[in-house]
Amino acid sequence: MPEPRHRSGGNRAARETQILGWLFVIPSLLLVALLILVPMGHGFLQSVRSGGFLFGEKPGYVGMRNYKDVIHDPVSREAMVHTVWYVVLAVSLELVLGILVAITLHRVFRGRGFVLAVLILPWALPSVVSGVLWQRVFDPDNGLLNFVLLKLHVIGEPHVWLASGRGAIFYITIVHVWGVLPLVSLIFLAGLQSIPDEVYSASSVDGAGPVRQFTHITLPLLKPSVAIALTVGTLLAISIFDEIYVLNGTALNTRSILMQVYNTTFVQADFAHGTALAFLLAAATAIFGVLYALALRRTTV
Amino acid sequence: MHRHQRFTIGIVLTALTLALAACGGGSSSSSSGGGGGTSENIRGQTITVMVPYVPPPQNLIDQFTAETGVKVNYVRTGWDATHNKLLVANEAKTYIADVAEFDWSFTGQFSGAGWVEPLEGLVDQKTLDDLKATDGAFTSGGKTYAACYSNDFRVSMYNKAMFAKAGITSFPATFDELATDVQKLKDSGVQYPLSVPMAATEGGVTPWYLLTLAMGGQLFDDQNNPVFSDPSSAGYKALQWEVDAVKNGWVSPGSVSLNDDIALNKFTGGENAILLATGPGNMPTANDPKQSSIAGKAEIALVPGVSGPGGSFGLPEGLSIPVTAKHKAAAAAFIEWWERPKNAIAIYHTQGSLPCGTSALKALAATGQLQGGDVIAAELPHVGPLFPGGAPIWYSQFSSDAQGLLNSAVKGDTSVADALNQLSEKTAARNQ
Repeated sequence: MPEPRHRSGGNRAARETQILGWLFVIPSLLLVALLILVPMGHGFLQSVRSGGFLFGEKPGYVGMRNYKDVIHDPVSREAMVHTVWYVVLAVSLELVLGILVAITLHRVFRGRGFVLAVLILPWALPSVVSGVLWQRVFDPDNGLLNFVLLKLHVIGEPHVWLASGRGAIFYITIVHVWGVLPLVSLIFLAGLQSIPDEVYSASSVDGAGPVRQFTHITLPLLKPSVAIALTVGTLLAISIFDEIYVLNGTALNTRSILMQVYNTTFVQADFAHGTALAFLLAAATAIFGVLYALALRRTTV
Repeated sequence: MHRHQRFTIGIVLTALTLALAACGGGSSSSSSGGGGGTSENIRGQTITVMVPYVPPPQNLIDQFTAETGVKVNYVRTGWDATHNKLLVANEAKTYIADVAEFDWSFTGQFSGAGWVEPLEGLVDQKTLDDLKATDGAFTSGGKTYAACYSNDFRVSMYNKAMFAKAGITSFPATFDELATDVQKLKDSGVQYPLSVPMAATEGGVTPWYLLTLAMGGQLFDDQNNPVFSDPSSAGYKALQWEVDAVKNGWVSPGSVSLNDDIALNKFTGGENAILLATGPGNMPTANDPKQSSIAGKAEIALVPGVSGPGGSFGLPEGLSIPVTAKHKAAAAAFIEWWERPKNAIAIYHTQGSLPCGTSALKALAATGQLQGGDVIAAELPHVGPLFPGGAPIWYSQFSSDAQGLLNSAVKGDTSVADALNQLSEKTAARNQ
């Protein structure tokens, strides 16, 4: 008979532990609701309402109209295409260069610590600062790049690097990659350091050369690092803003989707369409995030 | 164990209750601020003044503080950023400043949205009367929403020494003469004679506005309908002129990403001979040895035109009191103080903002302190409004579209016709 009493006491303890857990979690939940969910909810409501009198409309609910408008707006569509280019170029460069840098730094050599410290510098710089630094490189009138190429007679007259075409997007991507590469390299370096040397020794005994070791050992075992680098690289590239703004302002030929959100919302005062575009961007980011998280889970489980 | 858990639960509940109570208390106490009236005692208050230019001399601000007991927190922001910051704060109905920048282009949007206080009843009527000549740009529905402090309009500026070296004796009066003189300047060794900002910013579209008026046309009719997409229109010719200026090497290749303040820096740094579109207030800056390497060589001139001096337009800037200002009476006192002729003249010398008040302008002219006064007087009859029907509510959207599309055209990404057709269609749709 005393057993049920024990069970009853155990249930009570478990319930109290559960209540205590909730009490500890509630402040965090309230904070999250206050700082994230409330503004998001407010933003969403704004995205399904008309622009108001500033746009010659009566304030009110307009359903998904703002979303349709921004999807059909040629400038927003062009900005979406630009953003895809930024993401594809940036992530590709970061993965390839990141692995190369990590493999180089994985070897023990004199001054490795110093090189590592220097490598991290671009990541430590705010993106606005790196944009200003690169402005001095790409400036058509007094920039370093034109100066060097003119001196070497590679070009006959100053080139406007950020003027037009996909070239401008590529040069801005270089600046972005310059800032993110240290982080990606460190992710790969950590991945490389987690691969036991014995695996390489055993494969050498079996006659595997460096290329085979790279394709059959290094790359497969780096999959978790690749997934993390892909996630970080994509999320950072999808939200590219500072580098573009500093180097080329709000010019149409390099405008990213986040820049279009900024321009629509804060320059044109069109908060309705601006928040609609922001929600579309957030949805795209979330989809990428979930896909990468699933890929990461599959590679690590 | 149970006792411990109950004790912990009690502690956490108490902490939560206290935190909630503190939040509630905080919100009730914070609602007591704001609201001003002319009878309010302003002594001891601190006001935030948000203007995109260098502050007035500190000794002047100290005098204001000594006189009124009001401390001034002067916040300087970039011109484009000022508009965006005000927009966000106003939309969110949050405090940003007690005295805020108010450009002529804000009038339709800010007054329509009720984001700024009418100055009648807040600012002394005598001060407002003295500003009557320029305050039309800030008036809507019979109410004045800002007190003009920068009597800005577009003139041209040139480097006398470079002109003399090229054998040019006077500033060109027409665009044909300008083309001839630019070539002479190039021949004399000035690589890029003209400085014209063309970046995708507000300062980058202003030259197009000016060139359109200088070429004898308008951008809008009386109903604010766009009239610049026809190839025979002045607006079309003006943009084509900018595109040709880049192609012909009259301006540096980097002009396509050049902002107006950098364009001024390049001119005062001696890189260019002509700054086509600038404000008369930049004359003191260009001739100040501390700020310019061409001090004493800068001269202002009438904007060239088709058969003689061309048209220009006014871009006055004013001081406003946002509805969210915390100390409106103190803000009004600051505006009255700024507009006093003695102070406005002192600010002109440091900040380059040409005063708007009739008394200040008369005092400047009478004492010979107005640099380029004869040119300014000659330009004034050519100065007209950009929008004959008043600045529309959609100006910021028009400007934003124009920044991107004109920049695309000068970069060669879009043809002049395509850029202006797109801009015209968007504008016409907004103006319906």
